[in-house]
Amino acid sequence: MDLIRDVLDKQLVDPEERRMGKIDGLVLEVEAGKPPRLEAIEQGAATLARRFHPRLAGWVEALGSRLYRAPGGPARIPWSKVRDVGIDVEVDLEFEKSRLYAWQEWLSDKIIRRIPGAG
Amino acid sequence: MKKLGEIALGIVTSIGGFIEVGSLATAVQAGAAFRFELVWALVLGTLCLVFLVEMAGRFAAVSKHTVTDALRERFGFNFFSVVFLALTLVDLLVLGAEIGGVSLALQFLTGIGLRWWALPVGFAVWLLLWKGSFGVIEKGASLLGLVTLCLVVGAVLLHPNWREVAAGALPSLPHKERAHYWFIAVSILGASISPYLFFFYSAGAIEDRWDESYLWTNRAVAGLGMSFGALVAIAALVLSAGVFGTRGITQIARYDQIALLLTPVLGKWGFRLFAASLGIACFGAALDIGLEVAYRAAQGFGWNWGEDLKPVDDAGFASVYTLALLFGVLLVVVGLDPLKLTIFSMALTAAVLPLSVVPFLVLLNDERYMGKHGNGWLGNAVVLVIVAISFVLAIVSIPLELLGGS
Amino acid sequence: MMAEKMEKKEVRVELLLGRKVLDPEGQPVGRIEEVRAEPLGNEMWVTEFLVGRSAMLERLSVQAFALAPLHLLGWRKKRGSYRVPWDRLDLGDPERPRLRCGVEELERL
Repeated sequence: MDLIRDVLDKQLVDPEERRMGKIDGLVLEVEAGKPPRLEAIEQGAATLARRFHPRLAGWVEALGSRLYRAPGGPARIPWSKVRDVGIDVEVDLEFEKSRLYAWQEWLSDKIIRRIPGAG
Repeated sequence: MKKLGEIALGIVTSIGGFIEVGSLATAVQAGAAFRFELVWALVLGTLCLVFLVEMAGRFAAVSKHTVTDALRERFGFNFFSVVFLALTLVDLLVLGAEIGGVSLALQFLTGIGLRWWALPVGFAVWLLLWKGSFGVIEKGASLLGLVTLCLVVGAVLLHPNWREVAAGALPSLPHKERAHYWFIAVSILGASISPYLFFFYSAGAIEDRWDESYLWTNRAVAGLGMSFGALVAIAALVLSAGVFGTRGITQIARYDQIALLLTPVLGKWGFRLFAASLGIACFGAALDIGLEVAYRAAQGFGWNWGEDLKPVDDAGFASVYTLALLFGVLLVVVGLDPLKLTIFSMALTAAVLPLSVVPFLVLLNDERYMGKHGNGWLGNAVVLVIVAISFVLAIVSIPLELLGGS
Repeated sequence: MMAEKMEKKEVRVELLLGRKVLDPEGQPVGRIEEVRAEPLGNEMWVTEFLVGRSAMLERLSVQAFALAPLHLLGWRKKRGSYRVPWDRLDLGDPERPRLRCGVEELERL
């Protein structure tokens, strides 16, 4: 499997084919004497920002923690949860449980819900 | 039977989609300055668009991904972000132009200045996106868009020399004002081959849940829809040639002049019909562009998206179109001339065309997305020609704007 | 008997893309284009890295026919990519990956 061509940036979906963001990052665990192990999928603005410049990631994380209480660390999904890698990557995780949407939930509760007709 | 209905709806929607402030403004400019000589630019632009739109629809129906989705998935986030920034910036300018177009139409009808109309117009667009569903927006905009057919009626009633019009469909070199001629040609091509149109079309195919059984529907909608749209634009050009060109008005210097496009033929009703056509076409375009900017962000970052969802369920998506509309309104409120903004943004659209068309070409040949429905050699040849045209446009559009623009 | 220092480290794949790889003498070999992995048990293990001269072009993976006009103009991909087995790449400093062997020992794609 080619990680950059076939996994990175691909669409993540839950068992019901609902969209759960793209794969923004992939984390390898490197240990001396063993091949690197694919540990987790990572998602989030900080992960994306880091692909441009490491310092940007720091700012994005700081901004995020100021605006809403994000439980520590970026959104990670252990590789063991991956069911299938095709045109999309299917994970055994429900959409609602995905931490990726923490900021959208915050936006939804704090601002969107206050506007009439929002749902 | 259901598919026939969808084809009809798709065609009607496409007419409205094709016609917006850019295509109208450039067609009117062309008719006034060069009579029927630039019909070929509209024909060429439409031909390119038909192919691109058909491919975008096929791509979405087969892969169940939009072109934007695939742009990030296939080329990576870093490349995607460049395309994202360029296209979004251009889209925001065009959005301002469209809101300006609706405001202009309302100014014609009421006499109240267009800058006052920007905010109510922007709010109306926003409200429809906030509360409406994709189906409602599609059907509503398309039915109302039929009013633009008054331009075709007007052109026919003008009794132009149709042979001359047909002759204009063949490319010709200008005998006077070369820079201006080529500038308008480039603007027409930019207005016709707007990237937002084919990106939006692929998102629409996903919204409408197209699959492989829709491939012929897609061909019909792309071919007929865009062609009928082009007919309306050609009608505007013919009208302009007859109403302005023959009276020696070769430059539309003040925008209230274009309001008179239909009056010689249809009288006072002509004035109102033209204003209605302009307003409705631009309103539809504003809806589409607002959606497209939100689609691009949502699909690029992998958020949940869909016009059928309620805003609480796609907070990111809703926020993006809201911010986009605010920006568009701002452009009009600060007093930017809507026609100048339109012409400028059409040139800019042409300039960034390669950024969307080249990756699209690669995607159309990717088996993982297209399966056995990928482009044949003919399709690829056409796209290569379009890529070549897009590079030419990209190189010449800004210099021509400086040399030959109004 | 000294226990081997078992240092576990996290390395990001998306940051490896495009990183310049140097050989043991400090000479540039190429840039990381791909990270290949195979499943074993329940885990996915990296088997090799592809290091080549044009990482960005690889990602864009322009199809042959589209390159045809460029070929006509004389452009050609000069060398094939190197296949670097996982144990031949030192990721001690992920920003400066180093080859653990000579370039001659590597297979080409």
